[in-house]
Amino acid sequence: MTRQPNAVDFWRGFALITIFIDHIPGLSYDKYTLTNFSVSDAADLFVFLAGWSLRLMADGGGRRMPTRDVVLRLFGRALELYAAQVLITMLAIAMLAITATELQNPLLLQWHNAAAVFDDPVPTHVGLALLTHQLGYFDILPLYVVLMLMAPFFAVIDRLAPNLVLPASAALYITALVFQLTLPTWPVSGTWFFNPLAWQFTFVLGFVLARIDDGPGAWVRRHIVRVRMLALPILIYFTLAVLFGWFWDPTDVPSPQLFFLLDKGWATPPRLIQFLALVAVFSIAFPYIRRFGEQRYTRFVVMPLIRMLAMLGRNSLYVFCIGSLLSLAGQVLRFYYRGSVGTDSVVVVSGIIIMAFTAWLAESRQRTRPAPPAPSAQRS
Amino acid sequence: MTDESPLPNVSAALAKRKTLRILAMGAAPGHVGGHESAYTDLIESMLEQALKGVDIIIINRGVSGELATSAAARMKNEVALNRPDLVLWQVGTNDALAYMPSVEFTATINDQIDWLKAHNIDVVLVGLQFAKEMLRDEHYAKIRDALRVLAAQKNVIVIRFYEAMQIVDQASPGGTQSVPQAFEQNEAGYNCLAQYVARAITLSVFGKNMPRRP
Repeated sequence: MTRQPNAVDFWRGFALITIFIDHIPGLSYDKYTLTNFSVSDAADLFVFLAGWSLRLMADGGGRRMPTRDVVLRLFGRALELYAAQVLITMLAIAMLAITATELQNPLLLQWHNAAAVFDDPVPTHVGLALLTHQLGYFDILPLYVVLMLMAPFFAVIDRLAPNLVLPASAALYITALVFQLTLPTWPVSGTWFFNPLAWQFTFVLGFVLARIDDGPGAWVRRHIVRVRMLALPILIYFTLAVLFGWFWDPTDVPSPQLFFLLDKGWATPPRLIQFLALVAVFSIAFPYIRRFGEQRYTRFVVMPLIRMLAMLGRNSLYVFCIGSLLSLAGQVLRFYYRGSVGTDSVVVVSGIIIMAFTAWLAESRQRTRPAPPAPSAQRS
Repeated sequence: MTDESPLPNVSAALAKRKTLRILAMGAAPGHVGGHESAYTDLIESMLEQALKGVDIIIINRGVSGELATSAAARMKNEVALNRPDLVLWQVGTNDALAYMPSVEFTATINDQIDWLKAHNIDVVLVGLQFAKEMLRDEHYAKIRDALRVLAAQKNVIVIRFYEAMQIVDQASPGGTQSVPQAFEQNEAGYNCLAQYVARAITLSVFGKNMPRRP
């Protein structure tokens, strides 16, 4: 049975569409996405909601999943994400190769860090399998795989000593930023675009804040009005700062510098603070959005949109995978048609339709799965 | 091929201490052909040969496929973290392929050059890559020329990668047949590029009294 549209699925669906648009460089519609009003973006939202969902899975609905089951599910999920990453990376490489050949343009083979795949295939294929070689825009699933591998430790700590989860995560985060620790890429020298040691903090924040009955999540909910009153000016400042470029000079900040810079790869504190402010303020929104969708005069337009976004959010892995490939296809199409607004519109609309269709297909497959035979029928 | 203008901050850095820190942006760290070293490694070894006794440190923070605006924003953070004397910025190809308006592109580069100069950091630009298919593309040429004109206005060295590779392509017998061949040639172009970059930097350091080439 599919869930009713809820806030988590809705915002996840929103994040997925935002990511799809943002991953097409130069698209005219990317002027309207979250990045233009916020220093944090859909990636932060996605990871935060992934942590939130872990809480719902482990402790949601009043029942507590046995710790062993939580750990097994997380490892299983890591494997699933790994398979998805390998699949979409392979398809992306093939798309780049076909396009470069058909359009007789070797420059495309260098898009998104793919040059090494064609130029130095022997070690690079090992790197692709190990997730140490990541294509540009196809570098978020490797982060997720590592997060899913780290999550069991946090889940276990949460069961044994829940008050230690956030401090443990914060300690790792701070250590990573102070000593500039990250994971290396290979064979091409460099570092992972998304530093899992830093981004795990966003994930754990979602996990901890989703807890209703105790801990920081409960505290925030009790004082939500005051939290929102604090968050709103922070949000307004950052929004204006992005719009008018009112940012401090990165070279003027004290050491350890990463704490004071706006850096996506390191999920730096200014970004994180703005993101939490965004969550605090917009967490009020979904019930109003849904109520708006239920009005007589909006019911036929807004409610289906809400349902569609929620459907995308429920099937986020499939939708993300297809979205990533559609972004690449969109980029190729834009190149072929020389980046007109017409092409951009077609790309966005057809992309969203295909993503929605994928989500629908995934759900209808689940719905039509034959039920296991009743026990009495098996005893013969 | 290059306009030889001095790099004041590089010269000052070399006079003060025997190290030169270069931040490379714009090309993903990569191998040149089948060789083990990235083109920035080649530049490093060439410069160390030319500038004896100087410790050259090249920090490669290129992200493949990045547009100029994202690179510019990231560059400011990387400058803060790495304190380079010189930024080597390969820029334009991705913006041209994404059909970014040349006005926006020029403005971004212009602002970034001003920011770097205000922070006492020299910049060497590396222009667009060459591809035979792009010979007929007006917008590609527009971005390439806009970069060259801007560099001349700001008195910044720009390595004309495109023109260099175009000559190599014209010189190769029968031209390139297949995309894999053209791709290899492009990779070989990085070897050539490394030489140009090293030469431009070396000449700027030693050639203060040399007449500017017309």
